[in-house]
Amino acid sequence: MSQAEILRFARALMQAYDVVGPRRKKGRISLGTLSDAADLELEFPPSVHSPKKFLFPHWDELFRFKLEGNVLLEPESAAPPRIIFGMHPCDLHAVKILDDCLFEGETDSTYRAKREATLLIGVDCVPDEHCFCTSLGTDRIANGFDLFFHRRDDSYLVQTGSDQGRQLLADHAPETMAGAHEAPLALQVKQCESHLQFPTESLPLLMKDAYEDPIWKRLGTDCLGCGGCTLLCPSCYCFNVQDKLELDLKEGQRVRTWDSCQFDQFAKVNNGDNFRSSQSDRQRHRFYRKYKYLWDQHQRTACVGCGRCSRECLARIKPTEVLNELFSQTPPQQLETSPGSEYQPQMARVERIEVISNDDRLFRLKVPASFNFLPGSFLQVSVFGLGEAPFSIASPPDGSDEIELVVRRAGALTQALHRVRSGDRIGIRGPFGNGYPLEKMQGKDLLLVAGGRGLIALRSLMLSLLAKRDNYGRITLLCGARSIETLLFQEDLLAWHRSGLIDCRFSVNEQGNSWGIPATDVSYLFRDLDINASRTIAAVSGPPEMYRQINPLLFRLGLPDEEIYLNLERHMKCGLGKCGKCRINNICVCECGPIFPYSSVKHMAEAIER
Amino acid sequence: MKTRIGFFDFTGCEGCQLTVMNLENDLLQVLQLVEVVEFRELMSEEVSEIDIAFIEGSITRRQDRERLQTIRERSKILVALGACADNGGVNLLASNQDVASLRQQVYASDAEHLQTFTPLPLHRVVKVDYRIPGCPIDGQEFLAVMQALLLEREPELPNFAVCVECKLAEYPCSFDYGEICLGPVTRAGCRAICIEGGDRCRGCRGLVDNPRTSPYHKVLEEHGLSVQEILEQYRIFHIGEE
Ligand SMILES: Cc1cc2nc3c(=O)[nH]c(=O)nc-3n(C[C@H](O)[C@H](O)[C@H](O)COP(=O)(O)OP(=O)(O)OC[C@H]3O[C@@H](n4cnc5c(N)ncnc54)[C@H](O)[C@@H]3O)c2cc1C
Ligand code: SF4
Ligand code: SF4
Ligand code: SF4
Ligand code: SF4
Ligand code: SF4
Ligand code: FES
Repeated sequence: MSQAEILRFARALMQAYDVVGPRRKKGRISLGTLSDAADLELEFPPSVHSPKKFLFPHWDELFRFKLEGNVLLEPESAAPPRIIFGMHPCDLHAVKILDDCLFEGETDSTYRAKREATLLIGVDCVPDEHCFCTSLGTDRIANGFDLFFHRRDDSYLVQTGSDQGRQLLADHAPETMAGAHEAPLALQVKQCESHLQFPTESLPLLMKDAYEDPIWKRLGTDCLGCGGCTLLCPSCYCFNVQDKLELDLKEGQRVRTWDSCQFDQFAKVNNGDNFRSSQSDRQRHRFYRKYKYLWDQHQRTACVGCGRCSRECLARIKPTEVLNELFSQTPPQQLETSPGSEYQPQMARVERIEVISNDDRLFRLKVPASFNFLPGSFLQVSVFGLGEAPFSIASPPDGSDEIELVVRRAGALTQALHRVRSGDRIGIRGPFGNGYPLEKMQGKDLLLVAGGRGLIALRSLMLSLLAKRDNYGRITLLCGARSIETLLFQEDLLAWHRSGLIDCRFSVNEQGNSWGIPATDVSYLFRDLDINASRTIAAVSGPPEMYRQINPLLFRLGLPDEEIYLNLERHMKCGLGKCGKCRINNICVCECGPIFPYSSVKHMAEAIER
Repeated sequence: MKTRIGFFDFTGCEGCQLTVMNLENDLLQVLQLVEVVEFRELMSEEVSEIDIAFIEGSITRRQDRERLQTIRERSKILVALGACADNGGVNLLASNQDVASLRQQVYASDAEHLQTFTPLPLHRVVKVDYRIPGCPIDGQEFLAVMQALLLEREPELPNFAVCVECKLAEYPCSFDYGEICLGPVTRAGCRAICIEGGDRCRGCRGLVDNPRTSPYHKVLEEHGLSVQEILEQYRIFHIGEE
């Protein structure tokens, strides 16, 4: 499309939608409702505020109420159909982060209403000296928009990203449909002046050891606590909720407004204590929120490198400078330990192979460097020529550089793995995903329920628990298998049972089995179970049909949704939240799972129901 | 019975009371819920008991002191209205000058019977329950404080800096133009109107509870100010010396 065609397109859109776009205001680029399509800028550095201004506004009515009698009024006014025209790739990435955070668990319906009523049109950006998207991989985006305008010499190539986007073109710029099959543009490389001097994959390790770094103290003495950095950040969403009353004092609205972790009152609790009382603590919190905590959950930063925080900071605190300084102080060899960098596997040596059933083999691998994970996390294992597949880590996170996997024969790749000999090398990537919450389990009784191969992930958990057995209460394992033959780790389990470490109970489907136990399935084991629901966490791992059967039994025992952890395996490829294979509705299992508390997936139709 | 409110003024320009009057329709709505028992701008009679007294201006004479004390005695709640009442406001520009010669300059031949002293904010004379800062006050904030008091809630003032409101409204920062702005240490609540109007913040709303003075002074030094000049910045509204 040419500039003139885009102008016409925007004008047509304005007839049907509230069109928000970048325009000049007091010499700066600000997003606002367009009254004249000619004001729309197409080539511009990041706008002062991000599109968060419209998707998650500073003043957002949650509901209205009447004071007398506590009556609720009009639950929530419908969001206007809106188009945001002019989303840079970084801002589109930031919307994904907001989606992840606000749809996770209890969906934020106020955000969802706006999100669903809003179409997003992307455009290429013009980086300025504060942008560092190229360091975070947020300088381009493959989905998450309805349309995207790529700059091409003196015109734009339009890429559709959704049916709605395609429909927008068909309805309002039908002439473009003629060129529907034009080839995509070759990747354009952007140059950002600011950048990280290390790969982002090193961030979690960098941050892991930086908690006590003196740098936070220095930032604390420089920072004015004005909160500009977080208010302007496209992915910061902390908020405050207040009641605002009408002047007649009869009615009011409950509104949410942006809040900032940099403010004095943010972390104040009722008794006047402030659990993040110094500005240093708050700056550290901000950086950890951006570069560590979300990584632990979703393997990506909560920062998209838009540079807004440094652009507007009077104290000139710049994330790239802070992170590069942290990096420059860290001894280099420490940083190469994460084997999870992108798609290239690292080679691990097979130390030992144990045949543990007709179909299962245990592999002990020596990995290039030890890594940390939670039981339930998985590795991607490569066989060159056949591809990659995910396997739960079967050993506990004990800091060793040897880990164990159990591979059950299924198809080509698993059969190839069964042909591997000790001393061979295989490719691994990871660890990926979220595991069972070891820390939360401290002091609790644990009810473990395994079905078939699900026992592999629970083995890692059991070994972790046994390593510090005194830290936990009663541990009960309900374990179901097709046959005695396929029941994994039999000797270990029986030994643990006999010594009273774990109360193990078994069921097999096989009639006339060698143990002489009746053929039942695992739900049978719930019959004479004596559990103190108020102090129990359940860890369940098995095939989906088992969850459909077991979950109602767990609820009947009185276990709350958030204390039931499920292992939801899905087809996986990238492990990086990119390929989309493992998506359950709007989340990627490889990043947010495979272990989920039931409370955070129960709203998702695809999680357990078929 | 309706809540009885009164407005009183001492030394000040009456701009704050004018702001209240300018609330027009909003004010009329609120007046449905209260009974205004004293307001010099509107009425003259006096009653004995007042639920909420809003007091504008600073105390500059002995008679003022006594009058304020009697108002305090008859009022359940006393609210300082505006910078003059709250922290002395612009009146305190007089604080580092010789009172006698100032009096001579201002009142000339009347100087003898106008026995003024260095202006005092209300809290130096009586107990002040709540305050509405600003020169002049912000009308909406006045309404919010009034609402809270009517509902017997603690009125809350923002405890973050004017910069916040400035950023929310996407105004360009004064410092980018080489202007020195007091926004980073001044209590928000005015929606940064001065910056909207193209000026800088002069701190009329007083300091936030926990001003980050040392990083702020660092910024000012980077912009070429000396210690003396930095202190001067605080002087108009006498903030930082409270
Ligand atoms: C988080 C997770 C942890 C797992 N842990 C283990 C484990 O510890 N031990 C173990 O033996 N198996 C594990 N699996 C299953 C294992 O990945 C598959 O058995 C393997 O991919 C089969 O590959 P194949 O080429 O041998 O068989 P194929 O012939 O390709 O397929 C056989 C079956 O495996 C499924 N499958 C194929 N590729 C994938 C894939 N990329 N991701 C998921 N499922 C796939 C197919 O849908 C089919 O049902 C795990 C799967 C997931 C998702
Ligand atoms: S914008 Fe700068 S000065 Fe303000 S809170 Fe953030 S880091 Fe501190
Ligand atoms: S932290 Fe800064 S650079 Fe990163 S997304 Fe937020 S505003 Fe942009
Ligand atoms: S605070 Fe300002 S506006 Fe209010 S009375 Fe004093 S000088 Fe006037
Ligand atoms: S103009 Fe003043 S109030 Fe606004 S951001 Fe700059 S320093 Fe803060
Ligand atoms: S910007 Fe500063 S000087 Fe202006 S009204 Fe607000 S606090 Fe007062
Ligand atoms: S495995 Fe690719 S998105 Fe999860």
